[in-house]
Amino acid sequence: MKTLEEVFETWEAVIGLEIHAELTTLNTKMFCGCKLEFGAEPNTHTCPVCLGLPGALPVPNRAAIESIVLAGLATNCDIEKHSMFYRKNYMYPDMAKNFQTTQGPIAFCMRGHLELDVDGPAAKERYQLDKLAPGEASGNITRTEDGYVAHVGITRIHMEEDAGKMVHIGGGEGRIAGAKESLVDYNRAGTPLIELVTEPDLRTPEEARLFMQKLRQIYLAIGISDCSMEEGSLRCDGNVSLRRRGTTAFGTKTELKNMNSFKNLHDGLAYEICRQAQVLEEGGVIYQETRHWDPSAKRTIVMRVKETADDYRLFPEPDLAPYDLSDEFIERVRAKLPELPDQKAARYGATFGLSAYDARHLVDNRATADFFDECMALVAAEADGSKFAKPLANLIINDVTAYLNAKPEVELSATPLTPARAVELIRLVAGESISSKQAKQVFAAILEEDKDPEAIVEEKGMKQVSDTGAIEAVVDEVLAANPDKVAQYRDGKTGLMGFFVGQCMKAMRGQGNPKVINDLLASKLA
Amino acid sequence: MTTPFGCMGIAQIKAGLAAKEFSAAEVAKGTFARIAAVDETVHSFLETTEQMAAEAAARVDAAIAEGTFGEMGLLAGVPVAFKDNMNLLGTRTTCSSRMLENYVSPYTATCVENCLQAGCLPIGKLNMDEFAFGSSTETSAFGPTRNPWDLERVPGGSSGGSAAAVAAGLVCATLGSDTGGSIRQPGAFCGVVGVKPTYGTVSRYGVVAFGSSLDQVGPFARSVEDAALMMNVLAGRDPLDCTSQPCSADFTAVLAEGVRGMRIGVVPEFMEAEGLTAEVREGVAAAVEQLRQLGAEIVEVDLPHARAAMSAYYVLGPCEAFSNLARFDSVRYGYCDPGHTDLGSQYEASRAVGFGAEAKRRIMLGSYLLSAGVYDKYYYPAQQVRTLITQDYKRAYEQVDCILSPVAPRTAFKFGEIGDPTEMYLSDMFTISINIAGNGGMSVPVGLGSQTNLPVGVQLISPWFKDANMLQVAAALETVYGKAPVAPAFAEGGEA
Repeated sequence: MKTLEEVFETWEAVIGLEIHAELTTLNTKMFCGCKLEFGAEPNTHTCPVCLGLPGALPVPNRAAIESIVLAGLATNCDIEKHSMFYRKNYMYPDMAKNFQTTQGPIAFCMRGHLELDVDGPAAKERYQLDKLAPGEASGNITRTEDGYVAHVGITRIHMEEDAGKMVHIGGGEGRIAGAKESLVDYNRAGTPLIELVTEPDLRTPEEARLFMQKLRQIYLAIGISDCSMEEGSLRCDGNVSLRRRGTTAFGTKTELKNMNSFKNLHDGLAYEICRQAQVLEEGGVIYQETRHWDPSAKRTIVMRVKETADDYRLFPEPDLAPYDLSDEFIERVRAKLPELPDQKAARYGATFGLSAYDARHLVDNRATADFFDECMALVAAEADGSKFAKPLANLIINDVTAYLNAKPEVELSATPLTPARAVELIRLVAGESISSKQAKQVFAAILEEDKDPEAIVEEKGMKQVSDTGAIEAVVDEVLAANPDKVAQYRDGKTGLMGFFVGQCMKAMRGQGNPKVINDLLASKLA
Repeated sequence: MTTPFGCMGIAQIKAGLAAKEFSAAEVAKGTFARIAAVDETVHSFLETTEQMAAEAAARVDAAIAEGTFGEMGLLAGVPVAFKDNMNLLGTRTTCSSRMLENYVSPYTATCVENCLQAGCLPIGKLNMDEFAFGSSTETSAFGPTRNPWDLERVPGGSSGGSAAAVAAGLVCATLGSDTGGSIRQPGAFCGVVGVKPTYGTVSRYGVVAFGSSLDQVGPFARSVEDAALMMNVLAGRDPLDCTSQPCSADFTAVLAEGVRGMRIGVVPEFMEAEGLTAEVREGVAAAVEQLRQLGAEIVEVDLPHARAAMSAYYVLGPCEAFSNLARFDSVRYGYCDPGHTDLGSQYEASRAVGFGAEAKRRIMLGSYLLSAGVYDKYYYPAQQVRTLITQDYKRAYEQVDCILSPVAPRTAFKFGEIGDPTEMYLSDMFTISINIAGNGGMSVPVGLGSQTNLPVGVQLISPWFKDANMLQVAAALETVYGKAPVAPAFAEGGEA
C-alpha cells in the first residue's frame, strides 16, 4: 500500500466527522429523572421512561437544552429558536422504545464553524502547502508563517438520547459474532447526547484530529461533558471518500467507527484513505459501508454494507411540544459562556506577548490555562509582572505537561505545585539565585516533597553563586590547571570554551552562575 | 329490594357512607358480588382487584370511624374501574392483547393515581379493543364485551368495557381513553355520559399510548354531575406528562346554570351526512329543539374541512401507533415466542402471535405511511389538514360557546355486523375531527331511538380548555331527558 503522502499526490481525501458528546456534567437523563453515573451496577439507574415501559412519557431536561445552546454559541452556530424532537424508528434491544428521540431537519444549532490552526508536523500532511505564501488563501485554508488556518464548517448540532449498552457474552472480544447471549445495561439509555456534524471540509487525518481536539477543548471549557474518549463520553465517526486531484465530484464514502482516541482517529482515517486509494487504483469499487478500525491489526474491517439508505421513518415526536426558544433564554445562556480557548489564546498574545504557539499550547488543557491565569494573577500587581509570562509558559508547556502526561490520573490542582510555588520558582531563576538546570531539580522536588522552592534551595544548598570574586578564583584555578588547553584555545580551538565552563561548574558543584563564568572566561582567554 | 351500589351515583354512595347506612367494606364486597353475578354475560371486566379495594375500603371505614370522612377526597369509598390500558401497580395491563397478557404493571398511571388519592375503591380493569384499535370491543383478544341494552349488540369501542360496566350498573364511574371517539361512541351505544376532555386536560402518563397527539383520558358515568366530579379529580398538570396543562376549574360549578343565552352551534353538514340514520338524526334534532326551548341560541356553524378529518386521522393515528407499539418486541416484557436463536425471527414470530389483526393492520399502515418517499405524500398533508380543521373550530367558537352534533351515525350494531374495517372506521365520523383539533367532546344520552329502541347520544364539543361549557349544556339536557338509566335488564336488583 502507498503511504499517505504518496496517495495525496494523486488523490484528495474528503473527510466529515460526526461527533457525539454525552452531557456527563448534568445530574439526570434527557427525558427522565434517573441519575447519570458511569460505571454503576447495571440497570440500577432506570425507570419506566428510560426502560420504555408501556404508558411512560418523556419530559425534557431543561438543563440539557441549555448545554446544547451553549455548545452552539461556542462553535459559532445559529441558534434555531423553533425546533422540535423527532422519533427515529429502528428495532434494536439497546433502545427500549425501539425509537430514538432525536431532532429532525432543524436542530437547535445550525451552520457553525471553527477555525483550525494547523502547524508544525501536522501541516505537512496538507498537499502542496509550500505553493502558498503566508497570508495567501486557497479553498478553505489560509497559509500562515508556520502552517495554515483551515475554516471547517459545522452543519449542525442536535440533541438526542443515548442508547443502552449491549454486552455480548461468549464471542470474541465482546463482539456479537459467536456470542452465546447478549445483555443490555439501560443505565446509559436516555443519557443526553449532542451530535455535531461537520461539513465535508477536512482534507487530512491531522485536520480531523485537530478538529476533534479543538472541539474537546471547547466542550471542556464550557463544562458540558467530561469528554472522555476512553469511557465513550466523546465519540467520533468519520466519513471519508477520495476524489482525483482537480475533480470536484464526491467519491463513494465509507463510515469509520471505533476511533476512540485522537491517535486512532488519525491512524484509522490515514489507513482508510490509503486503502481506498489502493482499491481505486487497482480498478476496484468503493462500497458505501461501515468499517471498524482495529488498532492492533492497524486496519479497517467491514461491519456492514449499506446497500440502501436506512429508512428510520423519522416523524415529529408527538409526546414533546415544539420548542420556541426566547431571545431572553438564549441571551441568558450566552451570558454563561466562559472565555473560550481561542479567546484565551488571543488574550495571552495581546496581554503578555506570548507567541501563538505558546498561547495555543497553554489553552490546550483547561487545567493548565487556569493554572497559568492563577500564576499571572499573583504577579499582576508587580510593575513588570508580565515578564513572568514567557518563563511560566515554558514551565507549564514543558515540565508541567510532561509531568501530567506521565501521570494521567493526577489533577494539576491536586499536586503540591501551587501557582504561588510556580511563581516563586520563576522568581528564583529570574533573580539568578538558581540556574535553569537547578530549577528543574527544584521543580521535581516540589512535586516529590511538597515544599516551597526557597526551602528546597536552602536545604539542598543549591543557591547559585553569582559573586564575581568567588567565581574569578575558580576560573583562575581552572585555567592554571589546564595550560595546554588554554594554548589550544588561543590557537583558535574555540570549541574548548564548553570544556572550561564545565570544569568551572564542576568545581562549584553546579552552583556557579553560568553567565558570569562565561563572561569571565571570555575576558581572561581573550 | 335495596339498590345495588353499582346502580347508585357518587353522591348517594358518599351520603350512605357518611350516614353509616353501609360501610365502604360493604360497598366493595357488594360491588364484587354483583360483578361476579352479572358480568359473566356482559364481560366488561378483565380483572378485579378485591384486595386493593378492601385495603382502600378499610382506610375509608377508619376515617368514618374517626369522624374524618369529610376530609377525604372526592371519591372516598366510591368504586371506580379502569380501562385496561391504564397502569395500576401490581395488576395486569393487557390492553386486551395477547402481547401483554401476563404483563404486570410496575407503576401506576397518573389518572389512576388521582382516583386512588381521591379515596376511590379500585374495582378492576376493563375490556377494550386491542390497544384501543376498534369501535366495538370485538378486537379484544379476551372476547368481546356485550352491550347491556342488548346482549346481541356491541357496546361500542374502544372503551366498550368502561361504558358497559357503567350501563350495567356494576360501578358508577369508570375511566376510558379516547383517540378518535373511543369514549364518546361507546357512551352513546351504552346510553351513558362519556367525556373526552380537551387534549392536555388529563395526564396521559401511564396510559399505554395509541396515538400520542390524539389520546385523552376521560370518565364515564350515569350523570353529568358524576362525570364533572370525575373531571375535578382527573384534570390538572402532571409533571410526568409535558403535554398536560394546569387546570383549576371546578367542573361542577356551572351545571345548574342552564343554557339561557348560551350560543350552541350545529353543523348542517353533520346533520345531513350520508350514513346518519333517521332515528339518530331525529334524536339529535329533538335535543337541539329542547335546548332552544331552554333559552339557548342555536347557530349554524361551518366546519369546511371536517370531512377530511377521517383521512387525516387514518394517516396520523397509524403513524403514531406504529411507533408507539414498536416497544412490544418480546425482549424485555410481553409475549415472547419460544425457541428462537436470532433476534429477527424472535421479533417476527412474537409480534405475529402477540398482535391481533387490527393491530397488525395499523402497524403496517403506519410503517408504510412513514417510509421514505411516502411520508411527504401522506403524513405531511395530514398535518396540514390538521391545522385547517383546528382553525375551523377556532373560527366556529368565535360565534358559539359549544357545538352539538351526533356522536355516531347509528345506534349499537350487532356482533359481526360490520366486517369491513373501513366501514367500521365510519363509526367515528363525527368524533374524529375533535381529536384532530384537540377540543373537548362528550356524549350525553338523549333517549332511545325510534327504530331500534336503543340509546341515542348527542355529542357536545367545547372550545379548548373550556370543557365546563359542554358539561353545562349536558346538564341542561339531563334536566329534560333525565339521568342515564342503568340498562333495563340490569336495573332491578342485579338480575340479568
